[in-house]
Amino acid sequence: MGVVVLELADVSKVYRQAERVVPVLQDISFSVARGELCALVGPSGSGKTSLLNLIGLLDRPSAGTLAIDGARVTDCSAAAAARLRNRLIGFVFQSFHLLPRLTAWQNVALPLQYRGVPRARQRAQAEAMLARLGLADRSTHLPGQLSGGQNQRVAIARALIGSPRLLLADEPTGSLDSATGREVMALLAALHAELGLTIVIVTHDQQVAAACPRRIALRDGRLAGSADE
Amino acid sequence: MTAPRPAVWNPPPIALRLGDTLAEGWRNLRAQGRRSALALLGIVIGTAAIIAMLNSGHMAQRAALKLFAKLGVDMLQIQAASTGAAPAQLSRAAIEALPRHDRAVLQAVPLAIGRSAVRAHGLTADLATLAAPPALGALARLPIAAGRALRAIDDCTLATVLGAGAARALSAPAGAIAPGDTVLIGQYGYTVIGVLAPVAIETLDPVDYNLAALLPPGCAARVIPGGGPNALLVRLRDGAQGDAVGQRLIARFAAPGLSLTLLDARTILRTMQQQRAIQSRMLTAIGAVSLLVGGIGVMNVMLMSVMERRREIGLRAAIGATPADIGLLFLVEAMLLSAAGGVIGAALGGGIAYAIARGAGWTFALAPWTLALGPGAAGTIGLVFGLYPAIGAAGLAPIEALRAD
Ligand SMILES: Nc1ncnc2c1ncn2[C@@H]1O[C@H](COP(=O)(O)OP(=O)(O)OP(=O)(O)O)[C@@H](O)[C@H]1O
Ligand SMILES: [Mg+2]
Repeated sequence: MGVVVLELADVSKVYRQAERVVPVLQDISFSVARGELCALVGPSGSGKTSLLNLIGLLDRPSAGTLAIDGARVTDCSAAAAARLRNRLIGFVFQSFHLLPRLTAWQNVALPLQYRGVPRARQRAQAEAMLARLGLADRSTHLPGQLSGGQNQRVAIARALIGSPRLLLADEPTGSLDSATGREVMALLAALHAELGLTIVIVTHDQQVAAACPRRIALRDGRLAGSADE
Repeated sequence: MTAPRPAVWNPPPIALRLGDTLAEGWRNLRAQGRRSALALLGIVIGTAAIIAMLNSGHMAQRAALKLFAKLGVDMLQIQAASTGAAPAQLSRAAIEALPRHDRAVLQAVPLAIGRSAVRAHGLTADLATLAAPPALGALARLPIAAGRALRAIDDCTLATVLGAGAARALSAPAGAIAPGDTVLIGQYGYTVIGVLAPVAIETLDPVDYNLAALLPPGCAARVIPGGGPNALLVRLRDGAQGDAVGQRLIARFAAPGLSLTLLDARTILRTMQQQRAIQSRMLTAIGAVSLLVGGIGVMNVMLMSVMERRREIGLRAAIGATPADIGLLFLVEAMLLSAAGGVIGAALGGGIAYAIARGAGWTFALAPWTLALGPGAAGTIGLVFGLYPAIGAAGLAPIEALRAD
């Protein structure tokens, strides 16, 4: 295993629901090395999204620690977590989460805005990134004017624009038809190969999971196995 | 695992992000369109009322002072009317002695006021006749356009000075009335020795000088019944209490068969100011209530906006917006929204002030600072009422916000 990008040690998560404590993740420990492409698999309700939210610093573990690039990131303030997300993590969501009033390039440039990149440079960088993903002629389109596959590519461009250490994708093909889904997966695989990007993909799709060199399986909030090929 | 924490990354300069935030806020407001416009109504009415109030107050003040520009505010006028058959008469000697008897009186000018038909060149004008000592010319700053003013030596002569309008009314197409011409006042032929330039009429002017024939006081009985003074103009010493002195003078001149009326510049001004204060208190109340309602409207719009845009908030948080960034975005939107209402309100308020000025016959003038006050006050309202929704937006947990539908 190469340089460790992500390390989880005894991570647990409980949700409190009206007096009741619901354990969602229990004693999860694993690490991901730079350049790995991992599939996070498991039945519905097994805690995949909850785990991805912890890795993405969108939520905090109830117990255990997380480190990214060897630095502990578990107990920082909300503002510090936001800045770490901006610097270290790129998100791709099942439902794209593009802002409908912003054009493709404006959506892609959003992470740069929160870094204080001057606006002229934001546009140049965003358009370059869109061009790399084959959307050069769509940069001034609104999300409503683009197909699902194109929207997901815009979202991937947004996730990549800040050169993240870690790309997190929660069922990125979940709302696409199978052909388009395969295209998006091929794109992610190509980016992984080309840029040496570290990627964690949550998926239900057996084919998608099979295409990943490493699979991390969850069952009832526990690690059910971690298979490398 | 006891790895060091990552060095806290320095946030970018706020000025850079503020530019983006303003641009975004503006875009979002435009997208909201009609709903924003409705919320603005209160802000618009509020700022319009306050700006109209400030400006009409400002103009009324100037208009009121203009009514006392020539004579100043340290002036009294007493007019005597007869309640019987005999013409009202005051004692000339008593008037002339006033400055010696009352320390508050600087100068007292006796006036005999009447009305006569005046004829010349076959034309007739109904004019005020005013017999007064030469001191009046200086006191009332009567401007001579041609010829000369009345002097002490004119005392009982048949000499007159005509007002500008009077001279025009008596001028034949062939030739204007000029010094040296004769006019017939009542049964007497008077020689015109001077003509006045047009003058603006003020509150304490005893007659409209433009439509008057000024006569020497000596033998005024030829055209003014009684011939003696029936009014007086009093200049007070600086800081004298106008109404108190007025009451003293009324008591001094009171006599059977006489009804005395007091005009006191300061009292008139005060009455005008009181009326204006009532008006401006009303407008201020309307403005304040409207601004309050407007502020609540803005808060409502922003709360709805936060609700509707939870997914956007979650997304922004996911890609690196800090709670402060998100709060700022909504605060800026609230302020922009209110300030836009303030701009419209300022324009409307200026328009209302113009209408008020037209209606009251004042010269229209806007105090520029009041126009800046409109958007300023409205923006502050936006800041205050936008704070609560902005704090709510900033406090949303990213995963909850992302999950919202
Ligand atoms: N905010 C919450 N409060 C309470 N329980 C929650 C909360 N979020 C998730 N859960 C529960 O945690 C468990 C794991 O949910 P999670 O969304 O992580 O599953 P998942 O593996 O992503 O499922 P799916 O494949 O359907 O997306 C579920 O039982 C869910 O009901
Ligand atoms: Mg899930």
